[in-house]
Amino acid sequence: MDEKTIKKSILSSSNDEKIIYKSRIKKFQKNHKFYIILLIFIAVLQFISIAFFTRGFLLSRHVLDNISALNETSIPPRFNKAVVLVVDALRFDFVIPVNESSSNHNLNYHNNILSLYDSFANDEDASSLLLKFIADPPTTTLQRLKGLTTGSLPTFIDAGSNFDGTVIEEDNLLKQLHLVNKTVKFAGDDTWMALFHPFLSNDSFPLESLNVWDLDTVDNGVMDYFHDHLQQDKEWDVMIGHMLGIDHVGHKYGPNHFTMKEKQFQVDQFIAWILKSIDDDTLLVILGDHGMDHTGNHGGDSIDELESTLFLYSKKPNMWNFKDASNYNITNLGCDYRSVRQIDLVSSLSLLLGQPIPFNNLGWPIDEIARNDVERSQFVSSAINQLQLYKDTMQIHHSSDEILGPLAESISNIKPTSNPEEFVELGRKYQKVFLQICEELWAKFDYYSIATGIILLTISLILLISITKLIPSIVLNQMVPEFVPGIIIMVLVANLCFHGIFYVYQQPTFVDQFWGTLLATAVGIIIGCYITIFDRYNFIWIAMRLGETLADYWSRIAVMFMIVHALLFTSNSFTIWEDRIVAFLLSSFGMLTLYEFVFLPKRQSTTALLTATISEKEGTTSGVNSSTANSNYLPLTRFARLLGGYHSAVLIIFTRLASMITICREEQGEYCIPTFNNQNNSAWWVMGLCFLMIFILPACITGYYNLTSSYQAAAPIWINVFLKGILGLNFVYWSLTSLENNNATIAIPFLNDVSIFKFTLARIIAGFSLVASNVGWLMGPLCIKLNVHNTDVKSHEATILGYTNIYGSEFFLLVINVLMSILLFNKPLAQLSYFLMCNQLLSILEIIDLLKLKENIIGPIALGLLAYQHFFTTGHQATIPSVQWDIGFMLSEKITFPFTHIAIILNTFGPHILVSLSVALLTLWSQPPDVLKPQTLLGRIVSNCGILLIYNTILCLSSFIWVTHFRRHLMVWKIFCPRFIFAALSLIVTQLVVTFGTIAFASGRLIKHINDIFWK
Amino acid sequence: MSTKKRARKTVKKTVSFSDDTTLTTYQNHEKKNADHDRPPVYVRKTPLMNFPYHLVMLLYYYIFLSSDFNTVKLLSLLIPAQISYLVLQFNKCTVYGNKIIKINYPLALICLGVTFLLSFPAMLLTILFGAPLMDLLWETWLLSLHFAFLAYPAVYAVFNCDFKVGLWKKYFIFIVVGGWISCIVIPLDWDRDWQNWPIPIVVGGYLGALVGYTIGAYI
Repeated sequence: MDEKTIKKSILSSSNDEKIIYKSRIKKFQKNHKFYIILLIFIAVLQFISIAFFTRGFLLSRHVLDNISALNETSIPPRFNKAVVLVVDALRFDFVIPVNESSSNHNLNYHNNILSLYDSFANDEDASSLLLKFIADPPTTTLQRLKGLTTGSLPTFIDAGSNFDGTVIEEDNLLKQLHLVNKTVKFAGDDTWMALFHPFLSNDSFPLESLNVWDLDTVDNGVMDYFHDHLQQDKEWDVMIGHMLGIDHVGHKYGPNHFTMKEKQFQVDQFIAWILKSIDDDTLLVILGDHGMDHTGNHGGDSIDELESTLFLYSKKPNMWNFKDASNYNITNLGCDYRSVRQIDLVSSLSLLLGQPIPFNNLGWPIDEIARNDVERSQFVSSAINQLQLYKDTMQIHHSSDEILGPLAESISNIKPTSNPEEFVELGRKYQKVFLQICEELWAKFDYYSIATGIILLTISLILLISITKLIPSIVLNQMVPEFVPGIIIMVLVANLCFHGIFYVYQQPTFVDQFWGTLLATAVGIIIGCYITIFDRYNFIWIAMRLGETLADYWSRIAVMFMIVHALLFTSNSFTIWEDRIVAFLLSSFGMLTLYEFVFLPKRQSTTALLTATISEKEGTTSGVNSSTANSNYLPLTRFARLLGGYHSAVLIIFTRLASMITICREEQGEYCIPTFNNQNNSAWWVMGLCFLMIFILPACITGYYNLTSSYQAAAPIWINVFLKGILGLNFVYWSLTSLENNNATIAIPFLNDVSIFKFTLARIIAGFSLVASNVGWLMGPLCIKLNVHNTDVKSHEATILGYTNIYGSEFFLLVINVLMSILLFNKPLAQLSYFLMCNQLLSILEIIDLLKLKENIIGPIALGLLAYQHFFTTGHQATIPSVQWDIGFMLSEKITFPFTHIAIILNTFGPHILVSLSVALLTLWSQPPDVLKPQTLLGRIVSNCGILLIYNTILCLSSFIWVTHFRRHLMVWKIFCPRFIFAALSLIVTQLVVTFGTIAFASGRLIKHINDIFWK
Repeated sequence: MSTKKRARKTVKKTVSFSDDTTLTTYQNHEKKNADHDRPPVYVRKTPLMNFPYHLVMLLYYYIFLSSDFNTVKLLSLLIPAQISYLVLQFNKCTVYGNKIIKINYPLALICLGVTFLLSFPAMLLTILFGAPLMDLLWETWLLSLHFAFLAYPAVYAVFNCDFKVGLWKKYFIFIVVGGWISCIVIPLDWDRDWQNWPIPIVVGGYLGALVGYTIGAYI
């Protein structure tokens, strides 16, 4: 009872004040909505610009549905039946003998599949043929299957549709077989079913393919199917099997793991059995669709990912015409071994099986399949005919036509029978040139869309800068209500105008109805914003204001960081080493702050450094006297400098520690040793550190809370119960995984199936951290406590513990919620990285608060750098193979929307999400409630969020510009294009989290809640 | 309407647009301690006398003459050169409370030891900035020794003026900034010998020191 009365007497103000506060809150709520709508419009503008650029840059190939017809000149089939076995990710060095004393030799993945090479090397009657098989990038299974069956080059954009393959409409080998009523039976990877189901027999046996945790189901299915059908079943002409075990081992453990050895032995035995079991009239084709890199992943275009295996075998003798023995040199992992391109398989198989070559094919029959010159010239003439028909139908024109035209002429002049050698040579040349032309043409860009994208993004950047930084937040507060109607009206008007113009005049070639609407919307948003801005300000004022904003030391440092980061995309080497450079910049920030605290240079105070002042009259409700509250004017005290130095040291050391965790890019080569590998991720010492983290992470956060004595009320529950509990469960989950990886037998009483237990555990953690804890946060967990000194009621002496950080401490609980969910979806080493990140984040907040830089742009930039650093230290790189797909199967066995997607997004963009959320803490941390009006507070949060968005937008814009500039660069698809995709995605994620999470949900809720408590 | 606008324009706005009210008072504090125009200890502005000729020569030797970028040899040349620079040039330009003090040889010797010890914090700094943690430690230490001995005259000056570090820190900063900027060439894929650790940083440190000792007196 006593406490209540004291509380009342402290908190209740006069009725007039209450009315004022109520009106302020009302105003705040109204403005809050307008802010959200404004930010959504800017987000939409950026999304449209990204969409335009992506459309222009990642073009897809135009495909004709023509089908090659069987004509009378067709070559009679050499084989009536064929068995095709695709072994996913069968890299070439897996199948050749490697000298055990050689430095390249690896116990786990070499010399395990030797039946292919044995058959080839001990081959006296030329019945088997082993070749290196070069895949075309991108090395994703879907693209490779398309390439393997159509003989053409699927483009990059198709890579996006790896997860929902649809039926291939263009002419392909299976379609041709289907047209002549041959029965094709299939077992294995269900991607085939998605692509080819009209052409496959109903008796086929597809198996779920994308669950990389499952190593055996597909392989066992394929083997059982083959055992059942290969000899007994007579009703097939072509039998296809697709085994995934080796690929899945690669994804799950990497190639250097004993599971790989087991899997390869299994494949080897199976192949040996097939070699024995097929009959004389059957052609056996064993091939890999792509390789794998040193981490076991694929998707890019490194040599390891491209090199695969092709093996042709028949029991009939003298089927192949070998080249000189020096072509088949297996020394040095077979680097000089004769290779053929993957697209060459289609024409070769078509010729061997007596089928017409598919219409879109660009490949060339493999030399060895022709037994003599007569046959060779036959093959060549049918291949040439198909290529020429394709060229004429597609009407492909190119500057190299000058070479192709004469070539075609001389080919038609030569009689294949009289001069076979020259004929073959000319044909080969023709195909080479033609293939080159096609490759060039399909890398053609839509420059109008690209330019539109870049221009729109630039304008959105200028808009962001002027709205969030240049216009003072106090003015913006008044302007926000004007923005929204202006934008809405202008969007409508622009749409009307654009469609009207398109209707009357002709549609411009690069936009159709849908894209026209997008363009109009973007233009509408831009005009709507600028009408409002120029209503108040002119251009010169804005430019002057920009100079003013950048006039102080820290802003200049921040701009320098931003520019350095943006300029990384000017060179492939800088882009490759982005992880180190970002860490270097973050340490530099730490060093600069350390210098600041140690030497305390007499810097002129910045234009925007003060949180606020309290005039002498006002006083504070917390009883703190006004001189303490105004301490912002004073120079730093000795204690503050000590504290600041400590935080800077923590920041620097933890940055350095975190940068030791890395999954190296392939291009970093010998200069980088990967530490984020499966071996370390399941090592006992990492699990030990994770175990320690259960206790240390809550303790660290507690420490930061204690600095402002905010460890009260809700904080212990959240930090010491929720966080610790979730960390404990998380540890159980990942140590089970680690035991699995080390192949330990896990015996848990009453539990036969560990995977079910793991799924349950993961779902409990995810459910709690994603849903329950956020609902809990909505209740408004306060971290303050009333500390009554005196039992005497009349003296009214009481302090509120944790009062100075009332906003920040509550907001950070939300960050903890998100952190809990992100930790689950990250591997143990990445979890350690998040532990470091958490400390770095809080240290940065303290530093910014101590240096009074809350309104400076350095805060959000430092946080942005932190996000990028931890993107790299959580086992990611800006490459496609480094996406941790296996995380997607933590919540569900199959791909299920939205569980798989949430898991992968939280895994990949975890640091960005955390930082986008905690950027509001720059304003809210150590912010007592009675100093700033709710509206002002919101304005500052928006401003800081805006800086973070500006940072990401600048990176995105820079990557747009440079990827366009380097579009003909050798490394564009390998380095620049993945980086541009990453930049665009991180901008999108940041936009969404900032707009909906930070501003709409968290800040609005928090500010209203705290103001209600004190003044309701 | 139009009159209103005009009226608005004529009002001269002197207040910066920010939502705190305290800014204007701040401009007044600007130059309070401008009463004595010279700090008690400073380096005279004698460009020819101050200029570190030896650094130019060492750099020229290191980059163009020596074929293998031998960092150890460079260090053995740097140490005597720095000592003579201190004795012959730097100390003669340094003014301690309006007088030039003769070189204090025992102190110079002690400073050599201190500089050697300084290389360990410098090494820590280098590693914190991202130098390899486990391997190449020898190279990193060499680099730190270079950095430490580049700062040798400044170290002596600090000792000679009762540790008024603030007056001399610009020399240290120039060396560090030189090294900081020179990192830029390491990631480039040119495959040159001189991109090996720590050659670019050594050169960067020398350039930084060169600039520092040349213009240090003016700032």
